[in-house]
This record gives sequence, structure tokens and C-alpha cells, in this order.
Amino acid sequence: MQHTDCALIMGANPAENHPISFRWLTKARENGGKIVSVDPRFTRTSSQADVYAPLRSGTDIAFLGGMINYTLQNNLFHKEYVAAYTNASFIVKGGYDFNDGLFSGYNAEKRAYDKTKWALETTPDGKPVKDPTLQNPRCVFQLMKKHYSRYDIDSVIAVTGTPKEDYLNVCKTFCGTGEVGKSGTIMYAMGTTQHTVGTQNVRSYVILQLLLGNIGIPGGGINAMRGESNVQGSTDFALLYDNLPGYLAAPKTLVPEHATLEGYLKIETPKTGYWSNKPKFVVSLLKAWYGKSATKDNEFGYQFLPKASGNYSHINLFKAMYDGKMDGAFLFGTNPVVGGPNAGKEKEALSKLKWLVAIDLWETETASFWQKEAGNNPSDIQTEVFLLPASASYEKEGSISNSSRWMQYRWKAINSRGEARPDLEVIHELALRLKNLYANSANPADKPFLALDWNFGSGDEVDIDLVAKEINGYDISKGKLMKTFGDLKDDGTTSSGNWIYSGFYPGEGMNLSKRRDSKDTGGENYLNWSFAWPANRRIIYNRASADPSGKPWSEKKAVIHWDALQNKWVGNDVPDFKAVTAPTAPGGTGAFMMNKDGVALLFAPTLNDGPFPEHYEPFESPVPNPFSSQQLNPAAVVIEGDFNKKGDKSQFPIVATNYRVSEHWQSGSMTRNQEWLSELVGHMFVEISEELAAEKGIKNKDQIIVSSARGEVKAYAMVTKRFKPFTIQGKKIHQIGMPWHFGYKGFVTGDTANRLTPHIGDANSFIPEYKAFLCNVRRAD
Amino acid sequence: MTEYVKYVDVTKCDGCRACMVACKNWNDLPAEQTEFLGSVQSHKKTTADTWNVLQYIEHDNAKGNLEYLFRHSSCFHCTDAACEKVCPEHAISYTKYGTVVVDQDKCVGCGYCVNNCPFEIIALKEYKDKNGKEYRKAHKCTMCTDRLDEGLQPACVTTCHTGAMEFGNKTDMLKKAEQRVNEIKSRFPNANIYNPQGVGGTHTVYVLAERPSVYGLPENPKVPTSAVLWKDYAQPIGKMMLGATTMAVVGAYISNKIFNKEGKGHDEDGGGSHE
Repeated sequence: MQHTDCALIMGANPAENHPISFRWLTKARENGGKIVSVDPRFTRTSSQADVYAPLRSGTDIAFLGGMINYTLQNNLFHKEYVAAYTNASFIVKGGYDFNDGLFSGYNAEKRAYDKTKWALETTPDGKPVKDPTLQNPRCVFQLMKKHYSRYDIDSVIAVTGTPKEDYLNVCKTFCGTGEVGKSGTIMYAMGTTQHTVGTQNVRSYVILQLLLGNIGIPGGGINAMRGESNVQGSTDFALLYDNLPGYLAAPKTLVPEHATLEGYLKIETPKTGYWSNKPKFVVSLLKAWYGKSATKDNEFGYQFLPKASGNYSHINLFKAMYDGKMDGAFLFGTNPVVGGPNAGKEKEALSKLKWLVAIDLWETETASFWQKEAGNNPSDIQTEVFLLPASASYEKEGSISNSSRWMQYRWKAINSRGEARPDLEVIHELALRLKNLYANSANPADKPFLALDWNFGSGDEVDIDLVAKEINGYDISKGKLMKTFGDLKDDGTTSSGNWIYSGFYPGEGMNLSKRRDSKDTGGENYLNWSFAWPANRRIIYNRASADPSGKPWSEKKAVIHWDALQNKWVGNDVPDFKAVTAPTAPGGTGAFMMNKDGVALLFAPTLNDGPFPEHYEPFESPVPNPFSSQQLNPAAVVIEGDFNKKGDKSQFPIVATNYRVSEHWQSGSMTRNQEWLSELVGHMFVEISEELAAEKGIKNKDQIIVSSARGEVKAYAMVTKRFKPFTIQGKKIHQIGMPWHFGYKGFVTGDTANRLTPHIGDANSFIPEYKAFLCNVRRAD
Repeated sequence: MTEYVKYVDVTKCDGCRACMVACKNWNDLPAEQTEFLGSVQSHKKTTADTWNVLQYIEHDNAKGNLEYLFRHSSCFHCTDAACEKVCPEHAISYTKYGTVVVDQDKCVGCGYCVNNCPFEIIALKEYKDKNGKEYRKAHKCTMCTDRLDEGLQPACVTTCHTGAMEFGNKTDMLKKAEQRVNEIKSRFPNANIYNPQGVGGTHTVYVLAERPSVYGLPENPKVPTSAVLWKDYAQPIGKMMLGATTMAVVGAYISNKIFNKEGKGHDEDGGGSHE
């Protein structure tokens, strides 16, 4: 970030929620870098920005579509980069079409697309058909240009409500980074992702950054500002319901090919690109998990893996719970009664469980959902609740991975108090006890659990070093630790619990995540500090920092280059590329080697809701969608009925969003139990504009009620100049915002903002739409 | 001995309030029950238990654009400190670093310092002894003088991640401030260095984005004339005549009568420490 010429901050408020990142942005500014802040509310990030532009919540694609159009219309894109490193030149088959908000292949009944309609033209031997001149009307570039020509400035701002001058200022400032020798970065957070179009919001960043040649260079990239210090790590290790560790697909009964390992590997493995090695990663994972029980004859234990029969994302899980389809749940450090969407319903859902195990630092609102202060009559709740005290991060050792993919080891600072224990110990003891309990079972359902290889030390004490080594993996025949994932095999002779991390522990006593050498190894990449997956690369896709011939696009933003004398790629980072593949060799310009054709995807025929991002209104919106007759993302799954009531603009005309403050963290269960932080933000508040306050007769500090179709919350009014009404299609639209940290436990308490939010998710990730919904406000008295 | 200065560049501050938490942590200060103030700000001003407060100000600038301004507000450690001048018990003194500190063992809680601080920083805390008798002591930022003794910097400075605060010798810091004001003039035409000479200069020096009054600071703070009279004339004579303890009692009466600065009442100035 410190090397950037311009940071576009959108759907994020790093000055308040990721303050340390601002240290690097401050440095960038000292070197002449600019900061652009796009947010419905003038935030502390906006106060530090050179350019600020407001937009109505839920209109990011319109905003970004306009920037894409601006870049294309004004020839600001990096043409050589786009032609060489993206699929701009690829020809799209005749089946692809787009009309009135719908891509071809839509099935209205299923609310789903047939993605085969978006296929790319290939030669008989499976290679893409290209037009390097980018002139063919069926090439990705021309289709994209046509798609975004609809996003002219006036159409965009009529939807986003951004003043024209501000919008143009953003376009000019950021799109100028397409110039060779300049770089721009995009920083985003949950303001981008928590929408019914969250994934496509991020896709819009991808298209813009690829057009500007901003991927793979210092000060470039798309930075997900994580909501927690180890979100990257937890995602890498399959926190997401449809992943196995290392971004391998979780097998499903819905995919017939997944019935066997052979079928799974066949359908999941592309023929070209680095993912063609996938069978090695899958078999090594199975060997890590099932050890001796994983043999060639039993598909390396593939049948031990559960096969998903439905969608297990958060909303669906709670819907199943609400419908009485679940017996019990373990909740590790999670507090859905405050943090879940439509939180009142999630609290009700918990009461349908037979048992609940809450593992947390404090008794959270979730662990105590059955109590009187939660609005329940304890004698009416049949759920048996267990509360296991957990150790805090300073009370245990282990690694966390930041959003730069650095796996950093941390040591224990202090001992836990009382009976609190680290999560790992809780799981370890549970595994050992259950193994004992089921040891003599002949029930086939218990077989997978018994087959699980659990060698992390005997007794209650878990040896965390053995866990680390299992993640890295072994060359089983030699009994040695793996040096790199490049050596993994698909014949059962190697193991690795997560292939992308393989190589972080290349030999006994060499846990590289423990490295703390703060010497700059060049380009401020600090290669000997911790370990960055994969293979210790710091700037991912850094092949794209050099032109097709292997020469850096500019000296100022150089990372690696081809050294013809040494016959290899050299520079100040580990090449994200086979270091000996010459630019002239086959695949020598494939800068995006994970993708099957070695290029980045401007056109992505893989997503559920279309190959190009298209603007749709949120689930609840105060205006019709002027871009098409499709009001809501056509591929978003809508749950109807009591579990997800929908509000109408006639009753709830005000747009609302929620966010975090510096002092509280997530559902507040940690920070509202800390006095010094509670003192700083001790009250639930709602930020409203002076104009809306005047309309509603609300004065600063008044108590007000915010209502949505799902519930009501009481809070203090914070009347501020930092929210202004929007003019949308000539109509005045108000927006308000509030923190979502409060609940009824802790030193400071307050109503829970998520009582208001809906149970609807993104069409791809199913992340809930917390960030744009409708409400109304009134004085409390 | 070198004079030290805490340099605060408010234009680099992002309002994270880590300085407030670091201060409480190092100085072991308790949390206070805070009321909702209608903005993000947690306390109206510094108190005996909260030695620095982050101010948040929504300000429409001369061009009519909204500025969201932040300021780390804490003791200025004046070169001519009114609090030191008026203290009848010599409980307030200057250290070799230029910082101004209160010796709570000597403080009798008379509150003259509270009445006379031009920046409304120092405050009284109420205690009860084991017999239930109430007494008061003055408290304020010490500039972490105990840390300076150990070669460390003030806790707030150490924790500041944007580099909005630095601690160093006075000459360097003032030079830095001048450079910074030149750098930011185009963005903040009213940018200025706040190092008021009416109190002999201060050891917390600010680069402000706007005029001092926008931050609620006096444009030209002075040591009140009455305080000068008190310290340099009345007090020595009085002590000679009456003895120190009696003088403090009499002094409290006189102080309340004559030191109400610029029309403000005593209660308003001194009573806010523990509510």
C-alpha cells in the first residue's frame, strides 16, 4: 500500500476499522499518493481522503460499471497488459447474450442460469480462439465495452445519487493509474461483500484493476480488509461450507460425478493451468487425514468424506435450525444472536435445538439466549446449553494468516485463567474421547470418524507442532517433511493437510512462520519475515509486473524480470511463475497460472449470476432499477415467509446500513466486556442526517426507534452533517447507519442492530445482505 | 537539560483513540461512566481519570466543504504554567524535561489550578478516607514523566500508528511543525502551529488544520493576571503572616472570589471531574 499512487477505498472504512493499514496509506500520501473514499457516509477515512464521493448503499456495480466505461471510453486502459494477460481477446460462443438485465440461459423457476450458454470458442484441441486486435465483435473486450456502454455518467449517478463533479473526480483520479509506471490499489471490506451482489461487486474491482494493469505490481491489487486477524487463515483452512482446505471443492451428492474419487477428480481438475495438479493436493489431503486407512484400494479414504446434500451456508443452516431439522450445534467464538442477520429469528432458531455448546471467552448473548434478559422464559426453553470457557489469543500459541497471506506464528504471552482452554485442546480432547467411545462400534456411520488419523500427542495435551507439520505434509516413504507443494504426489506417498501452505515447514526445527527477520530484502518485501503462501511469494501474480518479453513495465514498479544470462526469473520477490520458464517458451506469458488458460478473467463464465457484473437493486430498495426490469439479482435465492419478511418502500422508505466502530469488535462480546473500550463507545446510536432529523422532528441525542419489516431497535440519534440525503432519479432518498455491536451482555449494552436486517444472501457466496435494507425512524417518546 | 516537546500533527490523526486507551493502561486509570454526547466523542473534556480526550469536530470550512477534524487533547505542559503559579502548596512543579507534574501527596485539593488552567485540563478527583471523610486531589497528564525517567516516550506517542504524534527535543519538533504547516497550507489554508506565547510556549505543540477556536482552544491564552499577582505578591506575603495551612483555607475563599476567569463560575470549571 505504501507504494500506491492511488488507493480507492470502497465498502470499507480502514481509518476506523483497519487503522494499522492507514499507517501505510499515510506513507503513500507522503510520497504523493492519493486516497479516494467512496461511502454513503462521510467517515474518518473520508476525512483523510483527497477525493470523497457518496453513493447510496447497494449501488456499487453502477458506480464501478461507470468507472469501467470511463476507462474504456477515454482509452485509459493498459492495452498491452489487457491483450496479453486477460481473456479480452477470447471469442465468446454464440450462446452468450444479454438482454434487459438477464444473461442467456436463465431459468426463472429455478432462479438459476445454465452457464454452458456462456462458453468460450475453442479450437479442436481445446485452445481458446483469440483476436489479439480486440476488434472482433464477439471477443470479450468488445462484449464488455458494449455491456458497460450503458453505464454512462448520467445513468450511473441517477442510481447512486453521487454528485456529478464528485463522480468525475473519482474517475479521473483513480482511472489515471492505467498509465504505465503508476499503480492503484482497491481496498474493500464488508461494505462490498454483504450484498445480494457481493461477489459481483468484487468482480467489478477485478475488471477495473485488470484494465488499468494494476494486478501483480507494487501498490496495486485488490485488498480485502479482513474482519478479523485470521479470516484469511480460516478461509484457507476451509471455514467456508463448500470448501476443503486449500480451496478444493467439498464433495456433494448433488454432483453425480462426486460419487467416486475418480469422478470427483475428473470433473474438478482442469486440463491446463496449475490446478491440473489438483489430484496431488486431494490425495495428499486424504493421506494427511486418514493416514494408513487411506489406501489406493479404498480411494484413499475418499468415501469417508461427508457429501453435502444441500447448501450449508449461514442463512440456510439457521433456516434448517428454525425448521427443527438440527439436533445440536457447537458455536466456537460466534454470537449469532447479535451478529447474525435477522437476529431475532436466529435467537428463536436456537431454541429449536436439543443441545448447544458455546465455546467463548464470556457468556455471550448466544450462550445465554434462553435467559430472561434475552426476552425468554427459561422454563419454556428445552435446549440444553453448555458453556465452555475458551482461552484468548494471548493465552495460546499458533499461527494467524493476514490478508497478505503471511502466516505468522505467535507465542503464548500469559496463562489462561480458571478452566479456560484453547480451542485446539477442546477439539483434541473431544476427538480422543469420542474415539474411545466409538472404538468398538460396528456401525458404518461411525467408520469415517474411527478412520480419522489423530496423532497429535497422547493424553489431553495436544502437540501443536505436530499439527503444523501435518499441514505442511510429509514424504511418507522417506519420513521427511515436504519442502514444497511442487513435490506432492497423487499415489499416496505424500501427505499435506493444506497444499497451499506446504513448504512452510520444510525440515525439522524449520517452522518458517516463526521467522522474524525485519531486514528489507528489496522492494520492502521482507522475504525472511514469516512465510507467505504460496512458496513465500509476497506479491501474487507478479509475472504481470513485467511485459510479455520479461522486462518490467517500469523500473519504478519492477518486481521480477527474465534474466537471459542466468536463464531464469529474478527480482526482489519469489516469482509467481515457474522460475525457469522463458518468456518465449510455451506458457511463458501466462501470468495468471492458476487459471486454465493462464490469463485473468474479464469475462467469468463460472459465477452463478453472470459473466459480467450487472447492477440490480438490493432485496429491499426505495427505487425501481432503471438499468433493466430485473429489480433483484435474478440468481439470488429468496427465502419467503416468516423467516424473512420483506419490507416495502411505502412503509419503510429509508435506506439503512450497519458498520463497526474502532472500539468495538464484531458482536462486541470481547470489547463490551473491556471497560476502557466500553467507556469510549458506551451507547447504541443511529447516525442520521440533519435533513432527516428536521423532517422527523428529531434532535441530536434524542432516543429514537428504528423499524424494519423484521423488528425494531431503540437507540440514541446522532444527528450529523456526515450523512446527506441522496437525489435518486430526481427523488430525495434518505439513508441512515448504525453500529451492529450491541447486545444485552457486558459492561455496556444496547439494542441489536441485526434485529432489522434480512435473511437473504449473495447469489454465489450466500453472505447475508447486511449493508442495504429499508427502515423507518421515529422519536421514541 | 534538553527541553522536550510532544508534537501533535492533527492532520495525520485518524481518530482511532488508541492514545486514550494507552494512557489509561500505562497510568492505570479507571473507566468512567460516559453519557451519550451526540457525537462520537466519549468525554466532553479531560477529567481526573481521563487524561487525554480525542475531540471530533464537524466543521464547514471557508469553501463550504465539510471537514471532519480530530484533536488529541491533553495537558499542554506550559512553560509558564498557571497551575504551578497558583498552587499554594507547591504541589505542582516543572521537571527537567519541561513537563509539569502534580505531587498528590502535597495537593490539598483547593482547586486553584482547576480555576486557572487556560485550557481547562487539570481536574479534581474526590476520594473518601476510611472514616468516610471526603477529600480531593488534582490530576492531569504527566506526559508520562515516569516513562521519560526510564528513557521511554509517552504511552500515547508510542501507540500512535499514523505518526500523528512524536516526542523529541523542542528545536527539532518546532522545525518539523513549521515544515508540516507549509506542506498542508494548500489543503488547509488556516493551518497553524499552536504553541501559545502567552503561557511562554508549551511542551505539547500542535499543528492545527484550522484556527484554534474551531477546536475550542483560546486564540491567545495567557496566565491570568490575578494568578501572577497571587503567586508573586499575595502568596509570599500571606504565608509570612499566617502560616501555610491557614493560608490555604483563606486562599480558597479569596481564590473563589477573585480568580473566576473570564466570567466563568467556579463550579462549571472545577466540578466536572467525577460525574
